[in-house]
Amino acid sequence: MYALSDVRKVFGNDAPALDGVSLTVGRGEHVAFIGPSGAGKTTLFRLLNLTLRPTAGVLLIDGVDVAALDGAGLRRARRRIGTIYQQHNLVGRLRVVHNVLAGNLGRWSLSTAVASLMRPRAADAARALEQVGIPEKLWARTDELSGGQQQRVAIARVLLQDPDVILADEPVSSVDPSLALTIVTLLRDLSHQSRKTLLVNLHSVELALGYFPRIVGVREGRIAFDLAPDEVTPELLGALYAGHSDATRQLDRIHDGIGSYGTACRPLPGFSK
Amino acid sequence: MSDTRATAGVGGAHWAWWTVAGFAALVAWSAHGTRVDVGALLGAEGLGQMTAYVAGLFPPDVSPPTLRDAALGAFETFAISFVGSVLAVGLGFSLALVASRTVLYRGILYAGERLAPAGRAGRIGIYALARGSLNALRTIPEILWALIFVFIVGLGPFAGVLALGVHTAGVLGKLFAEVIEDIDPRPIEALQATGASRLAIIVYGILPQAAPQFLSYALYRWEVNIRAAAVMGFVGAGGLGQRIHVAISLFHEHQLLTLLLAIYVIVTVVDALSAYLRARLL
Repeated sequence: MYALSDVRKVFGNDAPALDGVSLTVGRGEHVAFIGPSGAGKTTLFRLLNLTLRPTAGVLLIDGVDVAALDGAGLRRARRRIGTIYQQHNLVGRLRVVHNVLAGNLGRWSLSTAVASLMRPRAADAARALEQVGIPEKLWARTDELSGGQQQRVAIARVLLQDPDVILADEPVSSVDPSLALTIVTLLRDLSHQSRKTLLVNLHSVELALGYFPRIVGVREGRIAFDLAPDEVTPELLGALYAGHSDATRQLDRIHDGIGSYGTACRPLPGFSK
Repeated sequence: MSDTRATAGVGGAHWAWWTVAGFAALVAWSAHGTRVDVGALLGAEGLGQMTAYVAGLFPPDVSPPTLRDAALGAFETFAISFVGSVLAVGLGFSLALVASRTVLYRGILYAGERLAPAGRAGRIGIYALARGSLNALRTIPEILWALIFVFIVGLGPFAGVLALGVHTAGVLGKLFAEVIEDIDPRPIEALQATGASRLAIIVYGILPQAAPQFLSYALYRWEVNIRAAAVMGFVGAGGLGQRIHVAISLFHEHQLLTLLLAIYVIVTVVDALSAYLRARLL
């Protein structure tokens, strides 16, 4: 699906946000990205969903170099990649039905888009909302929903878009632990059913190790490790989060067997539980 | 350390003193230039003339022909302000879209996109042209526009509509463009990531976010325009103003009072309508 070689991203005169990133992701794979805040995970996702372009290096999507894409070709490529954001990134003043149907915007002509704002095809949106568990919110104003409900709307939008890849950038950082678990499970199951590739940025190491078969650690714009969860040792995690006190506390809690997700996450290698 | 702070403090005090002195000098110079004469306004003679003039206005003329004329004028003024404002919203909105950098050539809509240098220069040119036109429309006051349009389309309310329309389009266009450039870019990024075209993003993501402020500004300008519509009649652009101008010139004081009351009523009505719409729609 994705092949990155030696990708570098620099904003202005700052130190590079990403440097020397090489990575291959196969079709249908589920991958979790972890690492301290500011490591470059979000920048990596914005490269992967074609919002940004690499400063240097090659980014291939299904063998196509994205550097060659522009205009309509770029939009066609973006259509195949669905993104879920930490802040939901919904249009708050529109009703839920419109935000869900917005997943179609990449396919629709302008006149269809305008017509949809007047008379939405509610049945399509209702079906997607059913899948994410909030069918009753179809006609609600989006900014009146809770954070967790908005995240479900964002997932429903991606379902309508029906992409080949789902990128979820910190999808559960703004919701409580039980909801986080539900949403991660939902994302995993939905992409599994439809054989979509799923890439997730996770703040919670516990969720990443418990739910994803492949873990990529990112630190200071570089890939620190790329391993199966049972190969990720406490030492590797300690090095990944060194100097980030919040994250280190999180690791300590997991180490002491008092993680946020209880028995729902399977015990981690090298950790007592 | 404390030395440098002390000097800075003294410097600051000097600066404040110079500002006040400069301001006072500017007021004095302007007052001299405009021949301000408080005595003429508030002296025995000035006050006497004022009371005599106000007393002379009473009682208002309530004869049927005058009332009918006042009602017609009030209706015409209302219509000028309303149609003028609608015209301004349409024209201002169209110009605002191309007077927004974030719509034309930079920001999230152009992240990951490569504009050819010539295309980018062209877009910056369109932006500059739109901004320039908005400035031109705005800096020429309604009353001057009214004179110009009276000359073009003749005396009457249509000239007033056009004058209000183009001047207010300049005002609203600038405000609308600022609203557009100021919206939350995160939903826009999400829509763009679905592969949506820029026009679809404008319709689906930008306008819904901007609409409440567009409406709020439009209603406020309508309130301003009802007052402006009353004045523009002085140069022959219809409405109450034209009748007031005649009443003043011909010393019809009682009719003048009736017309002034009509302005009061119509302005109050528009303010109330605007407040009602604001409460209902926002």
